Amino acid sequence: MPLSVSLSIEGDTTVIELAGELDAKTAPDFHQTIEKAAGHGTGTVEIRMAGVGYMASAGLRSLVFAQQKVANHVTIKVVGAIEPVSRTIRTAGLDRSIVLSDE
Amino acid sequence: MPSTTVIILDEYPPPPLELLDAIRSMDAEIVARTLAELRGGPLDELPVADVLLAPAEADGESVRLAVRRLRRWAGAPIVVVWTVTGFAALEEHVRLGHDYLVPPFLPALVGARLHSCSERAGLGRTLREADARAELMGYEKELEIGREIQAGFLPESLPVPEGWEIDVRFRPARQVAGDFYDVFEISRGRRLAFVVADVCDKGVGAALFMALIRSLLRHTAENSGLQHLVAAGRAGGSRRIPVVGATPLLNAVTATNGYLTRNHLRQGYFATLFFGVLDPVTGSLVYINGGHNAPLLLRADGGDPLALEVTGPAVGVLPDCVYTLGYAQLNPGDTLFVFTDGVPEARCPDGSFLGDERMLELLAGSPVSGREVVDRMDTAVREHTGTAEQHDDVTMLALHRPRAARGPHADRTTAAGRTAVA
Repeated sequence: MPLSVSLSIEGDTTVIELAGELDAKTAPDFHQTIEKAAGHGTGTVEIRMAGVGYMASAGLRSLVFAQQKVANHVTIKVVGAIEPVSRTIRTAGLDRSIVLSDE
Repeated sequence: MPSTTVIILDEYPPPPLELLDAIRSMDAEIVARTLAELRGGPLDELPVADVLLAPAEADGESVRLAVRRLRRWAGAPIVVVWTVTGFAALEEHVRLGHDYLVPPFLPALVGARLHSCSERAGLGRTLREADARAELMGYEKELEIGREIQAGFLPESLPVPEGWEIDVRFRPARQVAGDFYDVFEISRGRRLAFVVADVCDKGVGAALFMALIRSLLRHTAENSGLQHLVAAGRAGGSRRIPVVGATPLLNAVTATNGYLTRNHLRQGYFATLFFGVLDPVTGSLVYINGGHNAPLLLRADGGDPLALEVTGPAVGVLPDCVYTLGYAQLNPGDTLFVFTDGVPEARCPDGSFLGDERMLELLAGSPVSGREVVDRMDTAVREHTGTAEQHDDVTMLALHRPRAARGPHADRTTAAGRTAVA
């Protein structure tokens, strides 16, 4: 299933909205967007994942990759992830460096 | 369809009428292009042709560059240069390997020459296709070599302690895998170490990190000296009993995490893993679950399985993080089932997952043997996947303590207790 990726800026937040499935096939699109987002230099990068039905380990790698791309003081937020997706993130322990939130 | 396609170079001087007549009298398609069009025009408008007919006055180097561009797009035509009197100019072309035509331009002679050029051009195209195929086969061969080398990073044989059974199923989704498992002895053979891990993402990158992570874990665990053999338990206030094998375990996981986060953080590769250390005599297990799907401890009495939940994050993500130790006890008849996400996330053709609930249903009841558990789960995964492509590596390891070996201190020398299956 394809992944749709959109990028916008709202104040000091760069918003990446994802919908579809985040796996080894689609993760490269997300990577490209992350690099663009990192270039914006906002204080927060918000990844809206409500529309992501499935995230494979390649998607987890994208989140780690995102952390590496942005400056140290930048907060990465994952917003609206459905339970199986947020559980994948928590199980791997990525919630220690990425903020998971419902809204 | 004409057997020969001829590009007539639209440059001064134009071909003599006899030559044009001779070409027209054969079964040939004729197109006209200027040198500028061939060298600079859009790629999709370049003609596919057998012969490029040029006057000897045309610049040899320019013609050569035009042919080089055609070659990349559609296969190179054979250049045939004509002249009536300009033999000096002809020489330059012949040195570049171009063919030539000189009067008399009789239809039979011109036809024979152009047909032979057409055959040579066809041969060139065939060779080019063969080259492309050989290149593709070369890549596949390289991947196959990669797969073989990677197989060398899996244990050749499993050291199964007396009174235990270990069964493994390993089915990579591609030629190279991100999953791996390992089983080896530590603490001078007093403990059995086993690992099931899943390197994030897929393909060659994941395979390289698999080799690195497996080696770091095993090397560190095997070389944690006996003087550090005993570590204080760190699972909270209630357990502070020193556990043999816990130090190699902690060292292996923290050192691997340290190494990866110091040297490879930018690449964003990490592994979720379950690393267990078993005392084969007592059945006591100490483990680290680094962000991995919780293995299930299936009880001999068929009661609810115990999930061995995470005790720390995935390995290679967070510098300086703390891994705590988990503890469990395998009694006779118990089975520990360790797996990667390829099992619950197996997908059927319509996209739905096998799922955790179905897994628990399949694992319900008292397991007879580790092999039986692995077979049942593997069959379920295959049946669920059906005609869909297996999209993730599938790895399972079952550690089973048969009832035959009775009690925590069963006589290890009794041959009857030995039911090891590798």
